Amino acid sequence: MADERQQDDEHTIETVQKQHVHAPWLVCSDIEASYPEFRLNLDFTVLQGEMVSIIGPSGCGKSTTLQLISGLMEPDGGTIRLGDEDITHKPVWERNIGLVFQDYALFPHLNVSQNIAYSLKLQRVPKNDRRQRVASLLALVGLEGYQKRKTGELSGGERQRIALARALASNPRLLLLDEPLSALDAQLRKHLRKEIRRIHEETGITTIYVTHDQEEALSLSDRILVMHDGNAEQLATPQQVYQRPGTLFAATFMGDGTVLPYEIIPKTLVSAEAGSTAFVFRQTVGEHQVFFRPENVLVHDDPSLAFPEFLPHLRFVDARILDCEYQGSRYLMECEWNGKRILAASEDKPKRSLVTLGVRLSELVEYIDGIIVDHI
Amino acid sequence: MDFSSADRYPSVGGEFGKKVIPGRTMKRTTASRNSTANAKEDILSRSRFYRTIPIPGIVVLSLIFLLPLTFTLSRGFIDDQGKFSVAAIVSDFTSPYTLRIMAFTLVQAFVSTFVSLLIGLPGAYLMATYRFPGKKIIRAICTIPFVLPTILVVLGFVIFYGNNGLLNRALMRLFSLKEPPIKLLYSFTAVILAHAFYNFPIALNLVSSFWEHMDVRCEQAAATMGAKRGRIFRTITLPRLMPAIISAASLIFLFCFTSFAIILVLGGGPQFTTIEVEIYRRARMSMDVGGAASLSLFSILITCLLLLWYSATQRALARQESFSTMAPALEKKPATRLGRFLAILYSVLAAAFVLAPLVSVVIRSFMAPVSRAGGESFSLKWYRQLFGFSAATGHMGTAADAIVHSLSIAAVVALVTIPIALTVAASVRRSRTVSSTLLELLVMLPMAVSSVIIGLGYYLIASRLGGRDIGFLLVVLAHMVIATPFVLRTVLPEYRKIPATYSQAAMTLGATPARTFWSIEVPLLRTSLVTGAMFAFAISMGEINATLTLADSKLTTLPLVMYRLINAYNYQGACALGTILILVCAIVFIGGELLKRNRHGR
Repeated sequence: MADERQQDDEHTIETVQKQHVHAPWLVCSDIEASYPEFRLNLDFTVLQGEMVSIIGPSGCGKSTTLQLISGLMEPDGGTIRLGDEDITHKPVWERNIGLVFQDYALFPHLNVSQNIAYSLKLQRVPKNDRRQRVASLLALVGLEGYQKRKTGELSGGERQRIALARALASNPRLLLLDEPLSALDAQLRKHLRKEIRRIHEETGITTIYVTHDQEEALSLSDRILVMHDGNAEQLATPQQVYQRPGTLFAATFMGDGTVLPYEIIPKTLVSAEAGSTAFVFRQTVGEHQVFFRPENVLVHDDPSLAFPEFLPHLRFVDARILDCEYQGSRYLMECEWNGKRILAASEDKPKRSLVTLGVRLSELVEYIDGIIVDHI
Repeated sequence: MDFSSADRYPSVGGEFGKKVIPGRTMKRTTASRNSTANAKEDILSRSRFYRTIPIPGIVVLSLIFLLPLTFTLSRGFIDDQGKFSVAAIVSDFTSPYTLRIMAFTLVQAFVSTFVSLLIGLPGAYLMATYRFPGKKIIRAICTIPFVLPTILVVLGFVIFYGNNGLLNRALMRLFSLKEPPIKLLYSFTAVILAHAFYNFPIALNLVSSFWEHMDVRCEQAAATMGAKRGRIFRTITLPRLMPAIISAASLIFLFCFTSFAIILVLGGGPQFTTIEVEIYRRARMSMDVGGAASLSLFSILITCLLLLWYSATQRALARQESFSTMAPALEKKPATRLGRFLAILYSVLAAAFVLAPLVSVVIRSFMAPVSRAGGESFSLKWYRQLFGFSAATGHMGTAADAIVHSLSIAAVVALVTIPIALTVAASVRRSRTVSSTLLELLVMLPMAVSSVIIGLGYYLIASRLGGRDIGFLLVVLAHMVIATPFVLRTVLPEYRKIPATYSQAAMTLGATPARTFWSIEVPLLRTSLVTGAMFAFAISMGEINATLTLADSKLTTLPLVMYRLINAYNYQGACALGTILILVCAIVFIGGELLKRNRHGR
């Protein structure tokens, strides 16, 4: 599913603005890691200066992927290239890949400045240069003057920034972040997410960001890699991943939505012009399904008024609202229509429990055996 | 000493076993955290550095442990003509004399364990349930016996409980009696009491620390279902505590089973002889090495069984704890008036029980008769005598020699044991492979062999080598064998507490495995290394079982000279030496504590 050609124009412009060479930087070719009950098999490329999020449910192999790239684990097969170099069998301590751990792993016996300077000391950087570098890194993460603090005195957010500064100290060729915000509360996460993006843009360092939070992945990354069961489901821009998910798994994982059999289209299709050519039913082999997001569903609760949709659309008349959940900006409804469950969203609370739902034909994404069909 | 047995880490269940169905409310479970790191043997354990680092330590340990053991055991199968024979063993296991000794050994260990629990468990209850003034102090006092040299305890008992001891004198003066009211010494009771003195802190600490960290919500749940306090205790608390109690009991039983100096001196005769004492007597007094060796076989058999049993209870404890440690320990309730009264009463009694013998040793060392008619006053006479400033130390050699010997032996033992334990721990701590389990077992094995038997082995080696002046080396080696398991037990849990991510972080930052070890792990272990060194030092400083069994008359250490003085009824001299021993131990422990604190006040 890793397909860079799917990149849209918008993304290309953005990278050019950042003045980075739009070239492959990290190339994982067919890397494998086998366990008794789990097998990881990945093939993807990260471009220079790019920020890629890896997202997926627990146990899908996100962290394992980071361990393989960082060298903390050796793959059972395949190759990993970084720049022009094959690093598959290079020891972890020679790779110069920064890794920020979920628990930050700040060394408790060293103070902030010693933590950040750890890699510099290993490289025998002179003391004065070390001091300057530590100061500038602390400025970068917004913690000036923290040099002499003990790691135990820091708050969660501060630790996270120090861990980031430490990982950046040696000018790594690649930065890996393993769920760096998962231990923090919601407010702080949002703030630090922006900070991470800012630091990424200031340093221009190629970054891989592992998360299980869809919102984080969507807001932060240039591209998102959706993983499932040790495999890549899709690697694409946030917009594509949300609007045209590459697989049904990606579709249901990256937010709410309804999956219906393909045969529903001829049964419910309504076109303004009778006998329209907008839709041609195709006979296919395999399980053919359609998917749409709740916000693309029009909820019509007043039968005395005409249905306000004129483009070709699917219409579900007299759907029963089973559950209506208020989410702040919208109401999310779970409806039942002819034994099918449909998710719909509306800004207003529907006045009746029987409503008519409509979804435009153009909003449907088609899947055969869970994989997107690219022709609509 | 950390009795909380923190070296038990329930392994996290595999993350990959269960498939997670993606849903709208996907939430990560904490259980899946970091389990990827454990899924395969990590890069660190596989590195050449961590694979090779324990090798020197293992070689040294195997040599200094297995060699004397082989010497001892092989002698059990060789008769007077130097031929192979099992006659000695067979006769041992059938003769009424040895059977009686074996029976007595088991009986006294059983009774001692029972009494230790009887004294320790109420304390464990009070410690675990109540907050009261002086709790920390009483805790500290209760750990004293554990690090106390046996010979000091023996001496303390003689001085305090003896017919002419401080207790009897005080009682006689108080009630103007003619006869000493308490005739305790050289009896079964004295042995049991001394064992209880030694071991009740184990029960107290082990059980109370488990109890304290036990999740009380089970009890609360039972209470909401209408169970009364007594019933809750019987049906919920006690069953949950049982593994901890059994664990403590088996450890105490093990210690009492292999007890030596206490029986030797306080038992006072063949009537109260245990296997260990009999091994010593045969080897060193009746020169029946074969007989000693065959008895050793029996002793090792029993201790191995005990140790297996103990480790099984430890595992049970670990299993249970993995379910119950999820909740943070609740704040202890302030004591009720009755609870506070009981707690303070217990504290005072326990403190008196522990401190009285020690204090009386110190007091006695500064007392000398003023005239022949009686009456005593402060005097430094015994110290002057000991250090040879005045004559009459006789064949004992000067105490100054013994002090220097003991200090240097203990220092060497501490210095050598620490790197061995550290390097072995480095390779054992993370990997769960068969070889690392075997390795851990090998290092713990000396615990299953009593120190008298190790001493016997070195005695045999010495007599084989004949005449050469290697007494000190052998003492050092024997002490190393005895101290290493304790040091490893101190270091390994702390080692395992270091999160794997620390080393991983260091490596991603460019540190080689060797560099990771020196710059991250060793500094983080500093506290436990100091504690371990203190233990090694204290163990060596007070060791008498192996030392007495292997030493010739030229060799003097502090406990040996004390033992010889006690045997010669020179109690004041022994007291003076004992006071010095107390002082040395106190300095070492206080120094250790300071060393632990000064750099980063953790």
